[in-house]
Amino acid sequence: MKTLRQLSVDPSDLGSQRCRLGPGLMSDLGLNLGSPVLVSVPGGSCLCSAWPRSDLAEGFLQMDLKCSSPSVMLHPHSHLHLEPGQLTPVSCPKLKGVKITVVVQSVDFKKYTPSRIIHEHVKDVLKGVYVHEKHVINLEDFDTEIRFVIIESLNPDCTSTGLITSKTGVEICGIQTVRHFRSHLQDRPQVTLGGLEEVSASMREMLQLPLLYPNTLNSLGVSCPRGVLLVGPPGVGKTLLVHKVVGEVGASLVVVKGPEVVGSRPGESEEKLRAVFKRARSEAVEGPCVLFLDELDSLCPRRTGSSSPENRLVAQLLTLMDGMDQSDRFLMVGATNRPDSLDSALRRPGRFDREVIIGAPTLQQRKSILSVLCATVPVCPSVDMTELAQRTSGYVGADLSALCREAAMNAIRENSKGSGVKLVSMHHFQEALKVVRPSCLRSSLGRTELSPVSWEQIGGLDDVKLKLRQSIEWPMIYPEAFIRLGLNCPRGVLLYGPPGCAKTTLVRAAASSSHCSFLSVSGADLYSPYVGDSEKALAQLFRQARACAPCILFLDEIDSLIGSRSTGQTSNSVHTRLLSVLLNEMDGVGLKTLERRGNEKILQAEGVEENHTHEKLDCQEVSNKDVMVVAATNRPDSLDSALLRPGRLDHIIYVPPPDKQARHAILKACTHSMPLAADVNLEELAAQTGLYSGADLGNLCKEAALLALQCENMEASVIKHTYFLQSLHKMSPSLTAQQIHTYQTPLR
Amino acid sequence: MSKPGVASLHEALQKSFQGLENNQKIWTSLLAECVPLLESLGNLAEQSKALSNVQLSITPLRVFPDLEDRLRFKLQEAMDTVLVKLNEKMSSFQSVRDAITNHVSGVVQLYEQLTDSLDLNCVTERSATAPSIADMMEWLQDAGRHYQRQFMKRKLLLQTLRPDDLTLMESAPGRWKSLASQSAEDNITDAFFKVSFFMES
Repeated sequence: MKTLRQLSVDPSDLGSQRCRLGPGLMSDLGLNLGSPVLVSVPGGSCLCSAWPRSDLAEGFLQMDLKCSSPSVMLHPHSHLHLEPGQLTPVSCPKLKGVKITVVVQSVDFKKYTPSRIIHEHVKDVLKGVYVHEKHVINLEDFDTEIRFVIIESLNPDCTSTGLITSKTGVEICGIQTVRHFRSHLQDRPQVTLGGLEEVSASMREMLQLPLLYPNTLNSLGVSCPRGVLLVGPPGVGKTLLVHKVVGEVGASLVVVKGPEVVGSRPGESEEKLRAVFKRARSEAVEGPCVLFLDELDSLCPRRTGSSSPENRLVAQLLTLMDGMDQSDRFLMVGATNRPDSLDSALRRPGRFDREVIIGAPTLQQRKSILSVLCATVPVCPSVDMTELAQRTSGYVGADLSALCREAAMNAIRENSKGSGVKLVSMHHFQEALKVVRPSCLRSSLGRTELSPVSWEQIGGLDDVKLKLRQSIEWPMIYPEAFIRLGLNCPRGVLLYGPPGCAKTTLVRAAASSSHCSFLSVSGADLYSPYVGDSEKALAQLFRQARACAPCILFLDEIDSLIGSRSTGQTSNSVHTRLLSVLLNEMDGVGLKTLERRGNEKILQAEGVEENHTHEKLDCQEVSNKDVMVVAATNRPDSLDSALLRPGRLDHIIYVPPPDKQARHAILKACTHSMPLAADVNLEELAAQTGLYSGADLGNLCKEAALLALQCENMEASVIKHTYFLQSLHKMSPSLTAQQIHTYQTPLR
Repeated sequence: MSKPGVASLHEALQKSFQGLENNQKIWTSLLAECVPLLESLGNLAEQSKALSNVQLSITPLRVFPDLEDRLRFKLQEAMDTVLVKLNEKMSSFQSVRDAITNHVSGVVQLYEQLTDSLDLNCVTERSATAPSIADMMEWLQDAGRHYQRQFMKRKLLLQTLRPDDLTLMESAPGRWKSLASQSAEDNITDAFFKVSFFMES
């Protein structure tokens, strides 16, 4: 049989519940005039009475959605193509009784109209209508205040469809307004959210308590808190959290976006704000309601001056919040990422009672966010969420979702090239990690792209490498051992030594071997002609670094960046101010409350039965919540002594000039890619290059290669030993014995 | 072809259209009778409103004791009388509507009894003099729905009037008039023209 084309309904058929079909199809389906027929459409179904088209044409279908599923009612499809199989004749026995919910247009009507009148009216209207359980009867064609009737249940309950006659008993379970009805239908899609269980539980409690135990609260004489301020950096899921909680509790949501309220005429914004509160109040009459003020900082900035128009708006908001009395049972939720720019009057109990700080997600939270995000993505089983969570320090929820999207896109791109792989695997995620960077670090001044260096590329210095690994890698890899021995993660490491001895390269290797965020800062980033600007920038840098901990903050040439107070220069210079900021940030009294991340977890309180990996993650989280400062200098004597005490830069590592073995190793590393002649004796070279630094040795190799090109024209294929010796003659070491001696005298 | 079924259905349809025509006339006349009543209701509401707005103590009328209360009582009594009359009219409307619905449901019931002997071809067959049974039943149902709708709207309008909301009551005559739907009435009249040959046969 051919498909049916759906046409829009004839105006004269509105409210008749007719479904116009061709007579041929009707007789095929065994339908008579007015027989009930259930039409299934995408998203629901619709109960109609069959009727032949007046032109008797086949292949078309026009149906009146008088009785249909709620989703079909709200979003009617048009121009569908239906199979005749989607039409099922149903039997509609006469009903004994029906339970309904009435949806009316306005709150006033609900308040003032006696239920007797509504009952009588609805009963009269429903007479002769075919109804289906859980369907909605559309009464809009009557053009009265009563808009919809929701069929809750039928009696006898063995049937799902039936006909209402004058003998059917109608029982009204409840009366809603249209807005409530619609908002409930639209909130159906469930949002999933990982890692914010605690915050959402507390919000749910605030919403549900007054509804579940109104009498208890009344008898105790306490009012439930009614305002929550959500604070957190952009992208951590503040708005999503509110939507999720609202969806779970089944509350209605009134959203105020800051810029939407502000109008151009004087007084307009205040009026809009009042209207919003009024709306929330009327919604709250029907059930739990949340008034959500998104981007509160734009709506309610700190009051300044005397007569700026924002002041009036702020004042209006404050009075409206104070004007909420006990009977207004709605919860107010504000969200902002700049809490400092809010008016301080807002942040007191009675207005926003609770402040919930949502920080950048911790390792555990990232893991749960990732598993939620990947729930719908066909992920290859080899993808390890824990490892991915470790690699994504500093990523917020929005970044992680972008990461998953990018990984999926990579997989699609690969698939379109014909590899036939349908799963998203780990290397797709690794590709995506290169593209999606953490938004915590966006616009940060210290963000650097560094080319990865492995430990093997640095010759010699084995004990220095070990010490660096101890202080940077070990806390990441063996956290449980650190906790067991009561070790704290070191706060800072100072590398000092003569120039050209691979201090910077060492740090680069450390950063690339441990997958933590890496920030590097130089004097050019920090200095500014404005007083106080440099200090602010440094403090901001630390704040960002903490937000994406574990993080390495690298201060190269720290002696030029931060001076010493003892050298007798003019005090109060930028250097000394920067020094004091650095000292405070590294070992200050405490963190600002705004920087709180995750839940304050104490390891001892953990349950015994938790599995090992979970515990390990916890350990890692606890022992790596700080920023590791790595500084490098070749003038350690000019550093302030306060910086060098344990608790600040507590590992002070001397990077010595290379000894003979080390030089040999360095030469090997430098000539790794060079074609050497058989007679080249690197050990002899190493013995001859006393006082040469690593950089000097690199230069030596380069010179030798250039010399080879110079002497043998461009056809040189190998570098001979003589070239090395010739270039060695031309060069002199950059270090002196006296210089090395000064480094070797103890610092403290 | 089962002629007896068609014949009896035709007979019932003829009767129903006849009844519908009669009832339509009654309905129109009832509507006409209601208009002055509603106008007086609106008028009374306006007077009550004026009474609430005026301060009698600063007018020469202050010498009459309890004037405001007495006037209000009078006005409310008058409103009551009008509303009682309107209520009577509503019951007449209801009986007209019930009569029409009975006609419609009578035909539908008869059709349901005869379903087995009537196939769809027979129901949708048209001739020069008579429209098909399906069309005629459709027109009858449409007319029944129209009167049902009209009745419910008017009834709800009167039922939602409140003595404390005078503005609502003042606007009642206007809203009453706006409820009339000329196009639906025209459709019914059209249907009468379409069935005129059939009625005469």
